[in-house]
Order: sequence, then C-alpha cells, then structure tokens
Amino acid sequence: MASSRLPIARDAVVDVTPLAVPAVPFGFVVGVAITESAMPAWIAWLTSPLVFAGAAQLTMITLAGTASLWAIFSAVLVINARHVMYSASMSRPFGAQPTWMRWLGPHVMVDQVFALADRARDREPTEFRRYYLTAAGVLFVVWHVAVTAGTFTGDVIPAGWRLDFAPALLFVGMALLAVDRAPAAVAVVVGGGVSLLTSGLRDRLGIVVGAVAGIVAATALEQWQRGRRATDRETVA
Amino acid sequence: MSTGSALVLLFAGAITTYAARAGLIVALADRSLPPVVERALAHVGPAVLAALAVSLAVGGEGIDSLSGPEAAAIVAAGLVAVRTRNLIWTFVGGLGVLLLLEALV
Repeated sequence: MASSRLPIARDAVVDVTPLAVPAVPFGFVVGVAITESAMPAWIAWLTSPLVFAGAAQLTMITLAGTASLWAIFSAVLVINARHVMYSASMSRPFGAQPTWMRWLGPHVMVDQVFALADRARDREPTEFRRYYLTAAGVLFVVWHVAVTAGTFTGDVIPAGWRLDFAPALLFVGMALLAVDRAPAAVAVVVGGGVSLLTSGLRDRLGIVVGAVAGIVAATALEQWQRGRRATDRETVA
Repeated sequence: MSTGSALVLLFAGAITTYAARAGLIVALADRSLPPVVERALAHVGPAVLAALAVSLAVGGEGIDSLSGPEAAAIVAAGLVAVRTRNLIWTFVGGLGVLLLLEALV
C-alpha cells in the first residue's frame, strides 16, 4: 500500500510545484496589502485560511474602507462565479469520494487545484483523493507562508523575475493540455477568444462570459457530431 | 473600518466562496445528470482555463497591453506544453523566453 501512495503524492508535488512558485509573489502582494488595509490586520490575514482565494482576498483587503460592504461583497461574488462551474464539473469525481471529502475538499479548490484535479478526474477514487489533497496541501502551505512573510518583509521578489506573468503562461499550458478532442479545442478557442473580447468588463467578468461561451460552443459541436454519427449509422444500416 | 464590519465581510466572503466551491459538488454528487449536461461539464476545464489564461495575460485592457516578449513567451509556453505535456518545462520554457527577450529588447 505504502509503495503506491508515494508515487501518487510525488506526482502531485511534481505537478503542483510550477503552480506554487508563482503563488509566492502573489502571496507577498496580499501580505503587503494586509499591512496597508483598512481592515484590522488579523482579520485581513484570516481571509487566507477562511477564504483561500487570492483574487477574492485581495479584493476584500484592498477595497475595505474604500467601498461599501455590499460593493465589496458583490465584487467577490463575481470573481468567485467560476468556482460554481468548477463545482459542477467536479461533482462526478467527487461523487465517488467519502462524505468528509465532499465537504472539506472543495474548500481548497483554487484555480490551480481545479486544473490539476480536472486532469486527474479519471483516476481511481483513493488515488484521486490522495493526489488532490497533496497538491492542495502544498499550495495551502506555500500560500500561508508567503502571505505571512509578506506582512513582515514586504514584497521581496524582484519584479524583474517576471513571476507575475508565470500564471498566464501556466494556464495557457494547462488549457492546451486539457485538449484531447475537437470539442475541447473549440472550448479553448472560443473560451479564450470571448474572454479576450470581453476583457474590459468589470471585476474580470470576462472570465465567466468566455468560459460559458466556450462550454456552450464545445457542447454544441459535440451534440452535432453525435447527431451526424447517428445519421451515418442509420444510413449504413 | 470597524472590527464588526470587517468580521461581517470576512465571514460573508468565506461562506460565499465555500458555497460556490462546494455547493454543486455536495448537491450533485449522488445524482445522475442528463447526458448532455454531463458532456457540457466535461468542457468546463478547457473553457475556463483558456478564459482564465487570457484574463491573466491581458488583464482588463485587452490585447494591446501585451508586450512583444510576453506574446512570444505565451507562444513558447504553449508549444512546450503541447510537446512535453509537462508543466515544469512549460514554466521554464515560457519564463525563460520572456526573461531572455526582455533582457535583449
């Protein structure tokens, strides 16, 4: 048993490492924002374990004191809308998980964890759980170390290292790695294209608009392909 | 901001974020969905990741905000990802091209 546990955990650590590295400077930025926030620092820090979503945390921490509670809250809702899609998409692999995992696992489902979990969705349930929790655990620890360090040291990662741009590069890679068939390719092209066209929308709403457009286009293509195959079979018969 | 308001914001943010992530997992885990919905959900990954990648790359200002080295780095990262199917090499390749071109330009 122990011999199969280790390779899965090792896979998860190897896969999450390039995603955890760019989280460090982002964590520092959130840490610095905590020291400058109108929120009491200890409450702002608690957004890390309790919310655990970089963009939503930064929005709450930086807008506190400058916008109404309702305005901040609605911005957080929009930013988090994509998580509803993650949740729907993950309902199948999580369906084979024990109840505790269904309730606790989603708390740590940040973008990076979803991207890795989506690629691991066909693994056997125990393997999926071990992979998911290891990858999420690494990100959780790295994030908290970075945020906490940022509150004490300020942002010490030189901007010239361009780690700020690394998430974009990695998500391009992950989107392409998710392409296995023509409908998935359409999802990527339409999702990315519409997101680009709507990038000016407030609170990064373009992510949701692009994603929905990509899902609809890919599903429409797949339905059309299935319909055509069925017609072909009838013709042959 | 008062401690009370900050706590309200903290817990409202925490609860809604958790609800967004856990809600459908918990609600749908034991149910079978119509086949077309199942198929649509399989496309969430590629569609959201692509939309997120674009948003991370261009921010709120569209494609004009992308520098030449950044555009080249995206192409490089995409090629390395497809060729190696490995995220560490994607990271090294994409960031390597970006740093090299920024040093040269």
